[in-house]
Parts: sequence; structure tokens; C-alpha cells
Amino acid sequence: MKKKKAAGNGAFKWFVMPIYLFTLFFVIGPLIYMVILSFLEREETWGVTNTFTFGNYLSIFDPIYLKTFAESLRLALISTVLVAFFGYVFGYFMAKLKPRMRKMMMMLLMIPFWTNSLIRLYGWIIIFRANGTLDSVLMAIGLIKEPLKLLYTYPAVVVGMIYALIPFMILSVYSSVEKMDWHLVEAARDLGATPAKAFWTVTFRLTLPGLLTGIILTFVPSMGLFFIADILGGNKVVLVGNLIQEQLMKVHNWPFAAALSVVLMLIMTVMIWAYRKIAKADELEARL
Amino acid sequence: MKKFIALMLAVLVLAGCMAGCAKKKETLTIYTWEGMFPQEVLDAFTKETGIEINYAVFDTDETMLAKLEAAKGGDYDLVIADDYIIEMAINEGLVQKLDKSKIKNIDSINPVYQKQFYDPTDEYTVPYGAGVQTIVYDPSKVTVDIKGYADLWDESLKDSIGIIANYRVINGMALKVLGKSYNTENAEEIEAAGAKLNELAPNIRLIKDDNLQDDLLSGEISAAVMYTSQVTMAKLENPDLKVVYPVEGIGFGIMGAFIPSKAPNADAAHKFIDYILDAKNSAACFEYLGYYCTTKTADELIADEYKDFLTLPADFDASKTEMIENVSAEISELHDKVFTEFKSLCE
Repeated sequence: MKKKKAAGNGAFKWFVMPIYLFTLFFVIGPLIYMVILSFLEREETWGVTNTFTFGNYLSIFDPIYLKTFAESLRLALISTVLVAFFGYVFGYFMAKLKPRMRKMMMMLLMIPFWTNSLIRLYGWIIIFRANGTLDSVLMAIGLIKEPLKLLYTYPAVVVGMIYALIPFMILSVYSSVEKMDWHLVEAARDLGATPAKAFWTVTFRLTLPGLLTGIILTFVPSMGLFFIADILGGNKVVLVGNLIQEQLMKVHNWPFAAALSVVLMLIMTVMIWAYRKIAKADELEARL
Repeated sequence: MKKFIALMLAVLVLAGCMAGCAKKKETLTIYTWEGMFPQEVLDAFTKETGIEINYAVFDTDETMLAKLEAAKGGDYDLVIADDYIIEMAINEGLVQKLDKSKIKNIDSINPVYQKQFYDPTDEYTVPYGAGVQTIVYDPSKVTVDIKGYADLWDESLKDSIGIIANYRVINGMALKVLGKSYNTENAEEIEAAGAKLNELAPNIRLIKDDNLQDDLLSGEISAAVMYTSQVTMAKLENPDLKVVYPVEGIGFGIMGAFIPSKAPNADAAHKFIDYILDAKNSAACFEYLGYYCTTKTADELIADEYKDFLTLPADFDASKTEMIENVSAEISELHDKVFTEFKSLCE
């Protein structure tokens, strides 16, 4: 009770104010600007005129542009599923390690974050490129005779996506596995459940919230990570992010870029909303 | 301790005043991309004229024009940018006419690069470097004898070509194969070029603007369509590479130097233009820059190892070149659509 009172006093408000203002100016402001922009007509060179139009939204329905949305969703889904699988397994076993080892693992996970993600991606180029690290190793052990053409392929993009996103999954799964009450698993085993059954009925259900948070943390950014498709995919995988960037930087069609962004955000909102609905139903089932 | 800090502060203030209060040196503010001049040439200019150079950089032409609009043609003394953006800047009244009496080397310019669409009477600009998009290939890996763009469609080149990401250049390549103009405003011709381009998709391994030469050198791709500066870098690294002037003709891009309408020190800008038009300075600049030399008198001074790709070949036919000019917004959107479809077909 006392705490709540403290939250209501003036000093607290003043501490929160900067964040409010920051959000207002740098999140809501640009958002409104973007929505307005998306309804305006472009100027011949660049910039916009003050004419209202729905045209920008209508052009999105061109099959060529619709395809980029489908392509983005496909890549995001593939990456999220793979990240969920590998991240869950990793997070689960990490939480079961001895505390000392756990700390070490956590460090190893965090250290790469100190480097810029673009630079880390360039590291993958060195691994994947013709006669690069991977090719040399495979050729040395005699598995392949000629360099594989790995760089600038779809699998290379997927690997890059997994690499960039997996820490978010690991950390959220880890935190829910770590918090779990292992007595419940023991009880299940005592009552005759096989290890697999005990995992499925107890551990998995209890760690589901962590997995679901991880999926959102993976799926949302994966729709926007256009530079991975650029760098590792040789620009051949056209995602909505690439399209927006190109409309802004090359075609100078700002309103169309804004319309694309608005639609992308709407799709994401709907998907997250639908996802939360389904996830909640799952949780209820787990409790029953 | 406090006294010590106060003393240090006093010294700092004094030093600041001494720097600030000293007689202001004459400066020249150049606004262009990074790495357009060798440092020695800039230093030598300062040494000779006493004018300090303030080098401001932009990353895209668009940024430059936006800044220049905001400054209403002021702030900068000399700008070097691409042809199409210069046309826009001139149309917006942001460029002042050159005072040719102050540029005694004005006749050194190679006439091939003059009287172009962005400045038909050469009143506003002096060219500084030109680029073409040429085909470069590694003869040890390519079995066809590439003579022009059309040969890139050959089946033996499957999954082995790298191209730059400029949609006007790449669509233009298909337009040229079909015998059309880069600057056509005919939507049907562009769509036909798009269909032609889609047939090239299986051969494309990589589309990117930056450092495409690295992929050619590492063997990731065996043929490429790239910018002159990249060709220069690739050739210096591997002289066995073959450079092809496509038989269909080529598109030139010219970089031009101009003085903004309200340049604070237009006089220094004229001096600088004259300085870089000097044959010796020019040769040093272009060897460093790796673009086609636009100064005729500098051609013979360029070292042999660079000559092949910095000067025009003897049988150069100016009538076969066409510059990529601004097209209407509608056509530019169509170009982008065609290019987006092409890109998503490459895999």
C-alpha cells in the first residue's frame, strides 16, 4: 500500500516524465508523420505534395509487391521456427548447468553483442565465401572437392537470421526454465511418467510463456532485418524492408515507402494480437 | 586543487581566444563524396594559395541537394556530384554561372564530356571524372567470348554473374540489348525490357553496389557489370581480367563540379577548379579516383598501368554512348517495379 502511495507522489512523476516525452516525440510523432505521409501524393523529383490519395495503398496490391510481403513472412516463419527449436534446446540445457558454468555460458552469449551486428555478419561472409573457412575445412577433410557456392543463397540468409535472433530466444527460454519448480517434474516421475511424458506435460507447459515471449521477440524483428538478406543473400531475396529502403533511397517515393511501412506494422500488430489470443488459450488448457 | 583547476581553465580560455582571435584564414568548403581527391593534391593547393580546405562529405546525391536547398545555395563553395542531380540543382536556381576568365585551364577539358544534358551550354559545370558501366570477366572461368550485354544471357554463365544494384543501369542494359534508349518514356518498351531481364535471372548470383570487385577477385562470380572505379580496383589486383565495352553501346555517368549560387568564397572555388584542371594535378587526381579522366591534357600523363581504364580507347565512338537522364516519376516507378520483379526471380 505504502509503495503505491510513493508511486503517486510528485517526485515519481517527474522521473517518469522524460520517458513519456521521449515516447511522445520520438515514437508517436514519427508514427503520425508516417501515416500522414502515406496518404499524400509524391512530387516529381522527391518530397510530397499536399494532395490526398489512396493510391499508395492501392499500388501495394500489385502482385510484384504482394510477393515481397509473402517472401518476408515466409523467411520470418522459417527463421522463427528454427530459432524456436534450437533456442529452446539451448536455453533448456543452459538452465540445467551448474551455476558457474551457467554464468560462463551467459557471458559467451553476451560478448558477441558488444560488436556491431553488421560486423558480425561480415564474419559469416568470411566463413561462407568461395574458398572461405567452411570450404577449406570441408575440402581438407575430403568431404567436397570443389568449393560449395554457399554465399548469396537462401540458406545463407536463414543462417544469418538464426544467428542474429537466437540470443533473444535462448534468454527468454532460459529465464523461464530457471524459475521452474523441479519438484513438479519429480512428482510426475514418482507418479510413473516416463521422462519424455514428464517433460511434455510438466516442463514444456511451464516453460511455454518463455518460449512464446521468445517467439515474439524473434518474429517481430525478423520481418525487418533487411540487411541480412542484402549482405548474405546478395540482394536476391526481396523483403518488405528492402523494398521500403529502395523506395526511400532510390525511387524517392516517400509516400509509397510510408504506405508499405504502415501495412507492415498493421500486419505485425494483427499477427501479434492473434498470437496472444492463441497463446492465452493454450495457457488455460495447460492449467486445466 | 581548486586553484589548479581554475588556472587550467584560464589557460584554456586564453588558448581558445588566441586560436579564435587570430586573423581568420581564407577557407574553401568543398562538398562531395569521401575520397574524391588525394590528400597530396589538397595539401599542395593550400600550400600554393594559402587557402585552407574544409572538406565536407555526403553519402548520396540526394543528401547533398537537400542540404543545399536548406542552405539556399550557401554554406558550400564547391560541390561535386552526379550529372542528374546537377540538372535538378540548376533547375532550382542553386548554381551560379562560372566565371571562365578565372579558369585559365578551361580548355583542357575533354569535349566528349561537355555539352551534356545537365548543362547543355557548359555555363555552370566542369566535369570531374566519368564512369561507364562495363562488363568485366575472368577469362579463365568464362567459356563464351563476351562482346556485349547480350552475351550475358548465355546459359554457360548460370549462377555466376554479379551486377550493380542501380535499376536504371540494369534495366538499361536490357533496353540496349533490345536496341532502345536508356531514357525511353515508353512504358511498353520498359516492360519488354523487364521481360528480357527476367530471362537473365538464372545467371545472376549477386546484386550489390559496394565492392562488387571483391567478389570477382575472390572467384565468387566470374563475370560482372560494374562501375569504372570498381573496374579499376579489380584490374589493379588481377590484370588478367578482361574489360569489355559492350557492343550495344554504353551509358556514361559524369560527375561535375559546380559553385552554389550563394557560395561564401566563389573566388577560391574558381581557383580550385583551375588547379585541378591543370594536367599534372588532374592526372594525380584520376589515378587516385579511378574514374575516366575528363581532362584531355592529363591523358598522356597518366601512368601506363592505369591508362587502359582511365582514358578512352582510340576507337571510341561518342555517338554510341548515351547518358542516363532523369525520367518522369511514373516511368521511374515502372523501372523500379520491373527491377523488383527481376530481383525476386533471381535465386
